[in-house]
Amino acid sequence: MKENNEQILVNRLLKKEEAAWKELFGAYSGSLTYVCSRYIIDKEDVHDVLQNSFVQMFRSIESFEYRGSGSLRAWITKIVVNESLKHIKQNPDLKTVSGDFEIPDEQNEEEGPNLEEISQHTIMKMIRSLPEGYRTVFNLYVFEQKSHKEIAEIMGIAENSSASQLHRGKALLAQKIKEYKMSKAAQYE
Amino acid sequence: MNNEWLNDLRNKMEDHTEDVPDGLWNDISNELFGEDNAKNVVGFSDLKAQENAVKMNYKTLLYRIGGVAAAIAMFFIGGKLLDFNGKKEPSEQPKYSSHQAKTGSGKKVSHQESPVEKEKEAVENYFNERNDLSIINSNISHVFNKNIFVNPLNKTKNSETNLWRNPVLEGEKANQEGNLFNQNQNLAQGQNGNTIEEKEGTEEIENYELLTKEEREWKEKFKEAEKTKLAKNQPKKWMLGVVTGNASSNSSEQYPGYATLNGTTLSLPEIWGMNYGEDPLMAILIANQDKKVDAKIKHKTPITFGASVYYSLSRRWGIGTGINYTRLSAELTTGSNSDFISSEQNIHYVGIPVQVNYNVIEKGAFTGYVTGGTVIEKAVSGDIKTKYTVDGVIKEETKEEISEKPVQVSVNGAVGLQLKVIKNIGIYAEPGVSYHFNDNSSLNTVYKEKPLNFNLKFGIRVLLD
Repeated sequence: MKENNEQILVNRLLKKEEAAWKELFGAYSGSLTYVCSRYIIDKEDVHDVLQNSFVQMFRSIESFEYRGSGSLRAWITKIVVNESLKHIKQNPDLKTVSGDFEIPDEQNEEEGPNLEEISQHTIMKMIRSLPEGYRTVFNLYVFEQKSHKEIAEIMGIAENSSASQLHRGKALLAQKIKEYKMSKAAQYE
Repeated sequence: MNNEWLNDLRNKMEDHTEDVPDGLWNDISNELFGEDNAKNVVGFSDLKAQENAVKMNYKTLLYRIGGVAAAIAMFFIGGKLLDFNGKKEPSEQPKYSSHQAKTGSGKKVSHQESPVEKEKEAVENYFNERNDLSIINSNISHVFNKNIFVNPLNKTKNSETNLWRNPVLEGEKANQEGNLFNQNQNLAQGQNGNTIEEKEGTEEIENYELLTKEEREWKEKFKEAEKTKLAKNQPKKWMLGVVTGNASSNSSEQYPGYATLNGTTLSLPEIWGMNYGEDPLMAILIANQDKKVDAKIKHKTPITFGASVYYSLSRRWGIGTGINYTRLSAELTTGSNSDFISSEQNIHYVGIPVQVNYNVIEKGAFTGYVTGGTVIEKAVSGDIKTKYTVDGVIKEETKEEISEKPVQVSVNGAVGLQLKVIKNIGIYAEPGVSYHFNDNSSLNTVYKEKPLNFNLKFGIRVLLD
């Protein structure tokens, strides 16, 4: 049975070859930085969390089970998410105004915002501008595809609180997108 | 509003990447694959590793400064190691010391050959007793001087080593001997040997003090050197700190006969020359002529405080340097119960520590770490106050400046616990051990008596981003 590149890399990672780990880093660090940056705003903290994540991978690579293409990426992404959440719990952002953001009530639009013509970079900036509580729940729900029950467990909050935070986060983001589109449209006129 | 757009969002962002933080791989590889080197550095066992670190790129001015500090620390360390080796082979040094002692005594004798022979006789007995002690002391101090001086020199400039040794030793001897001896001369002519002993005793004391200081400094420097090496790899954060601490090493000693704190304690000579009969030292000596006399030296706990800068090289490694001040004080009481000389010696040191920290564990706001390093301290000023008490009455008080300004090198190791109070400020407690190398001076300090001591430091660190 022929192993694919991912499996070969995993085998080398298991031997703790420095070159293999560098390869892993080279291949995935950009994507993992994105994942981490969704949760963590401060650059230094992102650095630290990613460093911890790689250390964690290094220590627990033995427990990794290959389940087909992409499973390595899924595994390391999960580690980064876990480390990010750990960091958030240890360093609650006191500056975050957890209170009332002006959430537009008229969420009656049938469809969500259209994401075309908006760059990934811009969306990323919007996500990162969400208040921490909303952002974390939003990330877990949308990108990690966790259920509210899982999110409630992870974050130690009530399930309905997770749902309401998601709702607000979602609304806030949709509003940002809408504003962005309007300002862009205004530029063309 | 349905949630379908969220799926679109996820799909859209699927392949997004962000710029990887600078130096991340370096930090990771350091942590995962660089620990062996680091451990060696920490353990002082691998000077080569340190050197390599020093050779690393000097990207910024800070790096350069760190490198210089590391290099200095390495030199010192190397010198100390050499010294240690030398100490293991006592044959050479003892010879030197004896030579020096002899030469010193010779000089003294010549000086002393002036008047005052009469009175000398009375005191001779005491002095003779002292002579043995003093000779021993002088030997020790000589050895110390050699070691200390030789090491720094070797580190800095090998060529100058020889020059340094001789001038330094001679200078010290000359100064101490000259002052003390001259003063003592009158008394000493008959008692040449005795005076020599006294002087030597004082020299020893000074040496002790110097050594301890040097040791501390060495330790800190060493730590700093390690830190700088590490820092070169990846600069992240600077910390400023304020430290205070005390070594638990106060001690007291007692031995028979007279003694002096620095060679100059028995500053009788001047008085003698003027009026022998009035001289309190003479009075004391005469009063105690047939009494049992002893000398008690009590070293007070050193007091240290300072400010430090801490620079974290990676999540786990950091180096620190700074400046600190230490006061050593000692009390000497010599004589009998009613007729005695009491001296108080205060020496002030300014030191530069070089420390390397390794964070072992981080749990919430707490960080547990081990630290090691070296401290180089220089005596900046010192004085000895001496009181002569005759028959229970203080007859005379004198104050002398200590001219000898030795460099004290020490190495230290400690475990520390730091609590992050707010974002950039942490408080820490650091129990540790330090070893103070002999400073080759004649100063008698607690560090000479107890080169190895345990201490507890408290401080505040400010992390500079």
